[in-house]
Amino acid sequence: MILLNPIVPILTSWTATRAIPLIILLIMVGSPSQAQLVDDMADESKLYAESKQVNQFFRRFNGEEDEKGNRYYPRDKQYQSVKLRKKYFGTLFDEGNTGMSTSLKNDFSKHLLDNGRTVLLDFHGPNWFSEVNTVFTMNGKDQPVILFMELEKSHLGYKWVIRKIHADIFKRSFDRDTTKVGQFLHPLSHELDFMNLRKAFANSDSISQFTVKQFVPDHLTIFLYEIKKGNLKFKSVSEVKFHFFQIDGWYFELSDINRPGYNTGWLISNLMKLNNDAEKVLLSRYLYHETN
Amino acid sequence: MNNLTNKYLFALITSILITSSLLAQTGEISPERKQAIDSLALEKVRDLSKYISIIGSKNTAYSEATRVMDRAEELFAAGSEMGVSSLNTKEVNYYKVRKYFERLIALNYDRVSIKWYDIHYISDLERQPDGRYVGVVTIYQRFEGESADGMKYKDTTKKDITIYVERKKTQIQGRTVEFWDVLLGDIRVTETSI
Repeated sequence: MILLNPIVPILTSWTATRAIPLIILLIMVGSPSQAQLVDDMADESKLYAESKQVNQFFRRFNGEEDEKGNRYYPRDKQYQSVKLRKKYFGTLFDEGNTGMSTSLKNDFSKHLLDNGRTVLLDFHGPNWFSEVNTVFTMNGKDQPVILFMELEKSHLGYKWVIRKIHADIFKRSFDRDTTKVGQFLHPLSHELDFMNLRKAFANSDSISQFTVKQFVPDHLTIFLYEIKKGNLKFKSVSEVKFHFFQIDGWYFELSDINRPGYNTGWLISNLMKLNNDAEKVLLSRYLYHETN
Repeated sequence: MNNLTNKYLFALITSILITSSLLAQTGEISPERKQAIDSLALEKVRDLSKYISIIGSKNTAYSEATRVMDRAEELFAAGSEMGVSSLNTKEVNYYKVRKYFERLIALNYDRVSIKWYDIHYISDLERQPDGRYVGVVTIYQRFEGESADGMKYKDTTKKDITIYVERKKTQIQGRTVEFWDVLLGDIRVTETSI
């Protein structure tokens, strides 16, 4: 047999009895990495510092891994310990955002860690979602579309699902000036079997003037419809962020910061104290672009 | 069953035999089994790293590179893609795994060096609706290319590699043995500034 690469151990004929000792030996001594390794340790220390996955942000926030990224489990003494969480706390923030004051971070730290509190993030829990900025094409033109996604329990596990979307291209179709009298169906239209609808629908630019005042277009429905009709086609994801309302009385945003240095990866890019539920609702609506 | 599959299957079965007392029927993954699965996933990721280095090397004959591409493809679940972006643009370009390898061969450099940082990060395993588990392994690669006229290009890329973990059964000498199989899936390749 010709081995493509002689350093890859290939077991051509194997039985459990003969090969187990070999495999155990391999596991004990550790399988040497065959690919060439970069030998620049200074660079590597930055990669260790980076919050490499959202998963790692969760683990550091909750104090569930060591400094090399090895997971702690509930049986481990360090697991979710306040000491470990305090050690990681300072590394969780984007230092490039000076809008997050030291006193605000201190207040947040006290809320999370003082007096033996165990305020943790829950990956499967509610009150956090992802903002996925994407590009679709419509009539040959690139169009930005924001998907708001959340985790949902389904059958044996979980999946990400679309909660809402926002697209300026749809918004423009529903813009209307409610301060002007504009066009309307007069109050006795019913007596004529609404025959004036013919004139109302003649001009597509003004049709949104005939809806109720409170009408809010559902972008997700239009989005699904346009994709099904083949008018809207996915092109790319341009940016992903996360918004957390899991910590009572607080909101923070999580972004992927890609820059040289040690303060990189998935970091808290915005932090706000929420004084009441009304502020929480207002902020949620702002994030979902539901400000009208 | 081909040689490559034999290699992983054997390693998997052995790992499970080592931790056989931990094999529960609930579908939950114990910390010990998670560590065994992580090792197997890392073995596949290391093989992928090695294959990428071979495919990208200018010293590799085309016929040899093609054979290595076949081997590398066997590591992946069907339909896996690479999503590639650079520091200059937020846009992600998507390639089928095979196409990505072919592009690597076609890179217009006379000398290419592909090295890997000795660092990896393995996420928790999360269960999907279909019962399979999914995780992400992050590794870093340094690429350096040089053309005949001395023009140099180098970058460091972060590779976030999906791993699918599934419990399977096989027959060994008339005995049914359960094992955890690991397949690679989509890979997000991001240029990173360190």
